[in-house]
Amino acid sequence: MTISTTPLPLSTFVMLAWRNLWRHRRRTIITLVSIALGFGLAVFSIGLQDSGHNNMVKNAINMGDGHITLQEKDYLASPANYRYIAEGKNLLQKLTQLKINGKLIPRITLQVLASTANNSVGVRLQGINPNNDPLRSLLNKYVKQGQWVNNADNRGLIIGSGMAKKLKVKIGSKIIIITGKKGGDSESHLGRVQGIFQSGIAELDKYLIISGLAFSRKFLVAEGAQQDKEPLTRIAIFLDDAKTIQSVKTLLKKNNPYPKVSVLDWQEMMPQLVQYIVIDDISAYIMQVFILLVILFGIVNTVLMSILERTREFGLLRALGLKRQYLVLLILIETLLLSLLAVACGWLVGGSIHWYVATYGIDFTSLIPEGTSFAGTFMDPVIYSELSAKRVIQLTSIIFLTTLISGIYPAIKASRIQPIEALKT
Amino acid sequence: MSLLKIHNVSKYYLQGEIKVHALSNINLDFRRSEFAALVGPSGSGKTTLLNLIGGLDTPTSGDIHLNRTNLTDLNEQALSQFRLFQIGFIFQAYNLVPVLSALENVELVMVLQNRPASERHERALHYLHLVGLDDMTHRRPSALSGGQQQRVAVARALAAGPKLVLADEPTANLDSENASALLDIMHKLAIEEQTTFLFSTHDIRVMERAKRIITLKDGQIESDNAN
Repeated sequence: MTISTTPLPLSTFVMLAWRNLWRHRRRTIITLVSIALGFGLAVFSIGLQDSGHNNMVKNAINMGDGHITLQEKDYLASPANYRYIAEGKNLLQKLTQLKINGKLIPRITLQVLASTANNSVGVRLQGINPNNDPLRSLLNKYVKQGQWVNNADNRGLIIGSGMAKKLKVKIGSKIIIITGKKGGDSESHLGRVQGIFQSGIAELDKYLIISGLAFSRKFLVAEGAQQDKEPLTRIAIFLDDAKTIQSVKTLLKKNNPYPKVSVLDWQEMMPQLVQYIVIDDISAYIMQVFILLVILFGIVNTVLMSILERTREFGLLRALGLKRQYLVLLILIETLLLSLLAVACGWLVGGSIHWYVATYGIDFTSLIPEGTSFAGTFMDPVIYSELSAKRVIQLTSIIFLTTLISGIYPAIKASRIQPIEALKT
Repeated sequence: MSLLKIHNVSKYYLQGEIKVHALSNINLDFRRSEFAALVGPSGSGKTTLLNLIGGLDTPTSGDIHLNRTNLTDLNEQALSQFRLFQIGFIFQAYNLVPVLSALENVELVMVLQNRPASERHERALHYLHLVGLDDMTHRRPSALSGGQQQRVAVARALAAGPKLVLADEPTANLDSENASALLDIMHKLAIEEQTTFLFSTHDIRVMERAKRIITLKDGQIESDNAN
């Protein structure tokens, strides 16, 4: 007797599996609908969550110090006004030569005491170039009184409404800005309120003072920096394309002439935000695992039921000479086809929901008033769904593999059918 | 020359601690083109013997040689392959795969045999013609009568080119007219195709047409007569 080792034509199994799938049309449709709804729910929640995270990161980067920040290497661990970049001008010139696609924004950030005759408050003084710093586009719209500073305003300050209230100042009022120097002395300069903003973010409204670079630089000079070298506390880099962070960071590290200056990305600058996103992602993943488990059991139930009711048929096929492994193959192809349909239906439902929410958004104004902050950044009240290509691949793979894996147990069970027993049923 | 030789075959089952003898010391010999019937009351061992010959079950002792192959020497995979090429099966009912048409059902075993598509298509049409179902080739089993379904099963069994066809009560669910027609077809094909047919049956119509009747009683051969 010759034993054939040539594999059987796959097309026969695919055809047989496809027809088997539609043997109980209603059951298959119910299974697909349940998968599609579960998947749609997962796509919807992930899309909103990713969008929320992306917006938070985007706002945090815009409000913070860009995608990449160059600052004195110990500043992050132990911020102090004497930790500055002495060669600000030189470093900025060198970075300009690298032709990075993005904006190089010089900044001076200092911890200061803002004092008036009425009160004193510990605040953050942010010295910026008032014309091109992204803070302008972000906060200018919230200036409720006075106006935005310009380079010529050597003493002009923009403060938040919360601080104005605390210091009991108005437009034109004087504020003494005082810093403690490294040696123990203090340095003070007089500023004048030129604008008052109200962003809704407590951290900004109560604790931020914006000035021109020239005003803030006086404090660095008092620390020993040379005025002509245009010292800075950091250079914030706002990239045109956020995907280039790692390559630009590598380039900067390679071309950084100052060992005392470190190159940090936003994740290193804002570890709390990263931590929040990770924790939020974990909770979402746990929910998704539950959704997938429901899908998994639904499919196992469907496939298992369809196998149990075909016991005699499988016995017949085995009696006719179908090998065990081909029976396993047949069931796996059935599950594979179910998986493909599940992915298609899942994307049809999930994709439609995503498209709608990505296009029109969901207005949470009643729950999130405009200007609400979260983890120190703005939270947009209208949330749009966002799904990256990575997420699409991830979700597709998960639903596909979940469905496929759910066919393994029924396939093994089918392969164990003994023809003689099965034919008695 | 002998096609099928059954030598001292016994089969017992354990029911709890009790040993139940289904077959005891069976010795039989079948030649090519025989049209034989296994008869006997329920529980006499007819189906057990057919299962052993068909390689669906293994004897407790003894040997079964089909076409010079000792079935008791074959493992499960080899038995599966052996059934595919050497034995055709016709069962009492639910013989066909419901999602396949008559033509596809007949082709199925030839697909498993890895025959070329054109050959299996041609053979399937030929055997469906021989069983008188030319105009029903694309019907699914649910659209065929019981008799027509059994004819498709006969076509499927023969299209695979087996040496032996085992039929377990093939006419049990058929009316007189259909049973007669089916038996005529099988008898004709046994001669034309040089294939041995072995039935297990209670049906008097089958017994009338069988050329050899083997009567089993309590797992033993009571008689073995030419008809």
